[in-house]
Amino acid sequence: MKIRAFTAILVCKVIRGLAKLLGRGSSLPGKYALKICPDILSELKLPELSIAVTGSNGKTSTVEMIAHVLKSNGLKVAYNKEGSNQIEGVTTFLIGASTMGGKVKSDVVLLEADERYARRVFAYFHPKYFVINNLYRDQMTRNGHPEWIRTIIGHAVYDDMTLILNADDPLVASFGKDREGTVYFGADNLPSDTTVHEGIYNDGRYCPICKQPMEYEYYHYNHIGKFKCTSCGFERHDTDHTLTGIGESDGHASITIDGTYEIPVFFTGIYHCYNILAAFTAATVAGIAPEKAAESLGGYILKSGRISDFTLGKVEGRLLLSKHENSVSYDRSIDVVVKDKRKKSVMIIVDAISRKYYTSDSSWLWDINFEKLNDEGIDRIILAGQYCEDLAVRFDLAGVDSRKVQVFDTVQKAADYCRDNLDSFLYVITCFSDKEKILSIVTRRELA
Amino acid sequence: MNVNILYLYPDFMSLYGDNGNIRILERRLKDQGFDVEIIKRTITDDVISFDGMDFVYMGSGFESNRNLVAAHLANFKDGLVRAIDDGVPMLFTGNSYDILGDRIETADKTVIKGLGIFDFSFIEQIEKRYTGDVVLEDWENHELYVGFVNRAGVPHGKDGLAFEITKVIGNVPFEKDGVRKNNLLGISLIGPLLLKNPKIAESFVRIICGRKGAEYKEISYPNSEKSHDKTKKALLNAEV
Repeated sequence: MKIRAFTAILVCKVIRGLAKLLGRGSSLPGKYALKICPDILSELKLPELSIAVTGSNGKTSTVEMIAHVLKSNGLKVAYNKEGSNQIEGVTTFLIGASTMGGKVKSDVVLLEADERYARRVFAYFHPKYFVINNLYRDQMTRNGHPEWIRTIIGHAVYDDMTLILNADDPLVASFGKDREGTVYFGADNLPSDTTVHEGIYNDGRYCPICKQPMEYEYYHYNHIGKFKCTSCGFERHDTDHTLTGIGESDGHASITIDGTYEIPVFFTGIYHCYNILAAFTAATVAGIAPEKAAESLGGYILKSGRISDFTLGKVEGRLLLSKHENSVSYDRSIDVVVKDKRKKSVMIIVDAISRKYYTSDSSWLWDINFEKLNDEGIDRIILAGQYCEDLAVRFDLAGVDSRKVQVFDTVQKAADYCRDNLDSFLYVITCFSDKEKILSIVTRRELA
Repeated sequence: MNVNILYLYPDFMSLYGDNGNIRILERRLKDQGFDVEIIKRTITDDVISFDGMDFVYMGSGFESNRNLVAAHLANFKDGLVRAIDDGVPMLFTGNSYDILGDRIETADKTVIKGLGIFDFSFIEQIEKRYTGDVVLEDWENHELYVGFVNRAGVPHGKDGLAFEITKVIGNVPFEKDGVRKNNLLGISLIGPLLLKNPKIAESFVRIICGRKGAEYKEISYPNSEKSHDKTKKALLNAEV
């Protein structure tokens, strides 16, 4: 081993120890290691089994579930559980898991890989399996657009990797074209599917390969479904593992994989089902028996934090956590609201688009299907936060009766209004970056 | 009175909530008392006619889509040029205005021929996106416009460009942007820029009213005004 590599490992471990004591972030130690030895990642000796996961949504949940399954089946797993998924964070966690000689002390390395930075990490080592879950319009102020992200992920894909792909997402599935040995997962026709596309935009309208129109037998949501190009013949691939059912009875929810394995779940959001399916597929490909994988996943309670129930004075409510700059996640939350047949009100909070940066860009609000809230069952719509004027214009053009809409520039004013005026159930839709602004005002009842 | 809006490639160049511009304009025209018809034409259509159109719009798309649009729209260039010369108001946002220029050099060094209506070119790369909040100054009237840029290329041929980028928060490595000709406006801003720049929306509506022989009614749009003021203040005060 080169002296530089040894020094890098030593420095990384020391700084990591200090950073942990100070409760600081996880990318700094890796940053120093990379300064000392830029190719430190290629100096590390990884176990034979390594799995990387990327995609627009659900990377962290999927990695957590794969780790849980592998660990419950006796494997020692090293993974970036702090969710630090760029090259500095990956370096920190891999060196943290290795000996001073650079040997990673685990049976499996599991890696959450950032869509844009996977190419930098995989320039130094190639994971054996590479899971790509979905590609949506997500945080486009950083990510450009899904086709650009597809190209950039393509720079991280090498011939010696086995790809594990979502067969229902055409942009993701296009990675498997002419690639033997690719593993596919996907969903069967589900009761909640639609035959016509719902939503403001349709990223599945044209073939990602030849750009001719595509046809869908059904859509699970957004552009995820059973597609076929009318021109070049690119179509949904047969799946190795399949979501065959989603069921809910007596408050108990479960999903079925491959028609055989029933897995109890906490909530049945379709993207969550895909994450479970991706984790199931990755674990079985890695050698875990399917019944064992299903059993472990069933025992796993995802601390999603996505749903919080609360009271606000006499008003009962539920927070549905979504992601700003991600119309797909908002659309799924809106579906939850519309499905609820009670009389209900909805508060949308857009106060800080990100915790990490400022942007004025609210263009993503125009990609969300707020038109669905133009519904008799909706009592009031409350728009709150710094971007309330942008929301107000958007809702004006969504055709919602303006007498139902209230606009407030702070969450406090919006909450006061709800406490004093509402007699309907209140859904709050917002992002991680803004959730505390409402949770600090309401009384939380339980956390899922 | 009827107003016809030609919405170009709405399902092919539809990236950043650009549909908002059409909807905001439609709303304002209806407020003026017009009946609005939106005519959609896309990449699979054999004919795109500009005859009888009162407004033309195109938004951003994947670079690969835009390149195909450049070739497709070239078939209907004569009609487009006639409409521009005739003073039909038009708005091209994001990377859709690239095709009005001379050429686009893509990341793999392919040269895409533009429509040649303006003498500028774009040079693109794949490694990073040029994204950021910007404030632009209109040289003609010194108005400040605000919004977001999200593209792969930088413009060259700066003499003809209509706006100076006076503030950038992010990575937008060019100082000039946008084109004007008669009532056509092409600009790199993405998304519903007519929301955050009510002056641009108003000027289009005034032009349409004038061309239709209708009197423009003063109507205020306080949410749009507030959004503009708030954004401008935030961007001008932001530390870079």
